Amino acid sequence: MINKRIEKLLANVQKPGRYVGGELNCVMKNADEVDVRFAFCFPDIYEVGMSHLGLKILYSQLNTVPYIWCERVFAPWSDMEEEMRKNAVPLYALESGDSISGFDMIGFTLQYELSYTNILNMLDLAGIPLKSRDRHSLSQLVVAGGPCACNPEPLADFFDLFFIGEGEEVDLEVIELYRKYKKQNRSKEEFLIAAAQIQGVYVPSLYEISYNEDHTVKAIIPKHGAPTPVKKRVMMDLDKSYFPDKFVVPYIEIVHDRTVAEVLRGCIRGCRFCQAGFLYRPFREKSVDVIDKQCHDLCDHTGYDEISLSSLSTSDHSELNELIDRLHTWTEAENTGISLPSLRVDNFSTELMSKIKSVRRSGLTFAPEAGTQRLRDVINKNVTEEDLMKTVNTAFKGGWTTIKLYFMIGLPTETLEDIAGIAELGQKVVDAYYENPDKPKGKSVKVTVSASSFVPKPFTPFQWEPQDTMEVLRKKQRHLVASVRTRKVEPNWHEADTSFMEAVFARGDRRLCDVLLEAHESGCKMDGWQDFFSFSKWMEIFKKCGIDPAFYANRRRSFDEVLPWDHIDYGIKKSFLIEECKKAYSDTATPNCREQCSSCGAACFKGGICYEERQSMV
Amino acid sequence: MKNVRVWFKKIGTARYISHLDLNRCMLRAIHKAKIPLWYTQGYNPHAFITFPLPLSLGISGERESMDMKLDDDLITREELIEKLNAALPDDIPVFDVTEPVMKPGQIAFASFVMKVDTDNPEVTAAEISELFSREKVVVPKRTKNGFIDLDLKPYLDRTEVISRSGGVEINTILPAGSTMNVNPSLLCDAIKKYLQLDLYTDIQRMNIYDADFKIFE
Repeated sequence: MINKRIEKLLANVQKPGRYVGGELNCVMKNADEVDVRFAFCFPDIYEVGMSHLGLKILYSQLNTVPYIWCERVFAPWSDMEEEMRKNAVPLYALESGDSISGFDMIGFTLQYELSYTNILNMLDLAGIPLKSRDRHSLSQLVVAGGPCACNPEPLADFFDLFFIGEGEEVDLEVIELYRKYKKQNRSKEEFLIAAAQIQGVYVPSLYEISYNEDHTVKAIIPKHGAPTPVKKRVMMDLDKSYFPDKFVVPYIEIVHDRTVAEVLRGCIRGCRFCQAGFLYRPFREKSVDVIDKQCHDLCDHTGYDEISLSSLSTSDHSELNELIDRLHTWTEAENTGISLPSLRVDNFSTELMSKIKSVRRSGLTFAPEAGTQRLRDVINKNVTEEDLMKTVNTAFKGGWTTIKLYFMIGLPTETLEDIAGIAELGQKVVDAYYENPDKPKGKSVKVTVSASSFVPKPFTPFQWEPQDTMEVLRKKQRHLVASVRTRKVEPNWHEADTSFMEAVFARGDRRLCDVLLEAHESGCKMDGWQDFFSFSKWMEIFKKCGIDPAFYANRRRSFDEVLPWDHIDYGIKKSFLIEECKKAYSDTATPNCREQCSSCGAACFKGGICYEERQSMV
Repeated sequence: MKNVRVWFKKIGTARYISHLDLNRCMLRAIHKAKIPLWYTQGYNPHAFITFPLPLSLGISGERESMDMKLDDDLITREELIEKLNAALPDDIPVFDVTEPVMKPGQIAFASFVMKVDTDNPEVTAAEISELFSREKVVVPKRTKNGFIDLDLKPYLDRTEVISRSGGVEINTILPAGSTMNVNPSLLCDAIKKYLQLDLYTDIQRMNIYDADFKIFE
């Protein structure tokens, strides 16, 4: 619902469909009949935010509560922002068209470090004071959740509270408490002190941080009885956990324009670079019955003709073949396709291939992550070259001719030999194609080897590691290109400077709040978009604030250093991460959760794979 | 196999979606409504829907149409309307389904109501009327081969400018279709160019006609 003031802006912007709401299944309520108005803010443009599953789940769930109206808010593209500022139209929610400054709660989802400046820009566009201490009333409470909330410190000055872990329960508990305190006219301080007692709530203003002379953290001291550590929330029974039966269906094309079913949470693998693999432990599956019903309901209510079976590693679902068979009982008749976004190199079978191909063909992407077996053991990516060759041969037999391989460069202990190994692996895949008697006739093969730069993240065994400097990363990128000897292998890579910025904010502390504020005031926004990101501008800002970004990105921490996120607890023991880090340096792999428990600590959540019977190891 | 013409409105928020997005939106609605659509019989079967006269982004439509081929002759008009409405957003309501009478190629004119925002309707209306009565009203028009200068004057015969309490209303019938098409926003361009008035204008397409001004059916 948009009003005349907004309509007038739309004549001058690209893709006005981003800014109007009114889509199929969007939830309309009467603002006078609800107690809590919640603005679900995604700090990127509509097409990106609307593709995000977490938004779909929480939007629908909050709106099932009669007294809450949850609305969606996205970052406007620069043309729309310019129009809004010129005409003094504040940031508004898509459902009502109302300015979000009058909302009770403004919630952001933190998916990506380079979207942090968009958060400040959105608050500013809404006319909401940026710093928590400058917002005095109980309403206009600014909250956040999502994976980047695992180290919320670079954003600590701006947010009133963070949700740690999975949001389905804790969001509702906090909103319920808010409603009670609002009715009783209690103060924001009283509310925050009470909210901090809910498991999974982190109120940054209730923790005092002191620093050593070398700028490392000295101590983290809680106040007003706030807990330390703050333990994450987790939904232990996915079958009973809320999942929407309908999604808002955008008018305009978005990044992932399809039905998304979540088949499992967590990952059994324990790749040492992967933050999600640790944050979402323990591994929990949804049952075939529940997934099948959820897919069918969603397709019925949206009209989408494609289902994506989403998770960190869908092919690790123990009943994947049964699931796809079950889905096929109705998808074929309804002309609906099934796609698997994440396939593993070591369990891609002919059977699975024939099943996903039967309706529609999508490209094949695998992630060996490193070019040599030694380095794959370092990062605990337990796939072998043999696995990869078997898999690509299966794919070639099935008629695929383009394969994309993902790698990382800048991994701990990496040498130029490992980099050359990436090109060699690409070459071996090309060779396998030509040696394959069943290859499609008259077609050439294309193997894309895509190399992103490794960013060390909190709550991984590599959280103490320095990131390679940009010079080293660029040298390695050039070495990769030089190592490729055929046009059938196409190398590509990510810019090292954005990876550097990610590394700074991923492991940053509260001293970065001032940097973010300065960046916002200097006009930094949409840093995840190459057309906006300016590395030189950022370097000026760091200089102006007297902060050395290399302190965060390129410094090796010692195991006994107090880390800025040490008061946040994802159930993974620090001693386990240290042990894993040491094993990485001795090229030793760790078995996956299905093979053997490695006592990471996630068993404290009392469920999931930690309590399942393991397959016989005989 | 049966051809049907679906009549709908494209109003409110739906004004801001492009023709390509409308096409996708309709296909999804048809899929959601489980309407037995006829699929092309080629190598890559796809649903077959066409729009006799697509609408420009930002303009609302009161009588829009879409042609589709059904695989099933038994489904009734009422069923189709009900199913489609249940599957479409509120701002794209379907109000009728008929058998196509005319071919899309017969479309020659479209009528529009343009509501021009102004604080001074009488003066503005007089200025616009004067502009439209000049010998020549030339505006740049974008074509496949770049911009050309188009004289609007020959197409302004069926245009009236009325002063209302909230603003100026322009009622106009302009050439439309594949041979000659005049977008009503060109009238706004002329007002901006000649009168230096950059006024917000809400444009509605009311109806579509053939060369003899018979309503398109």
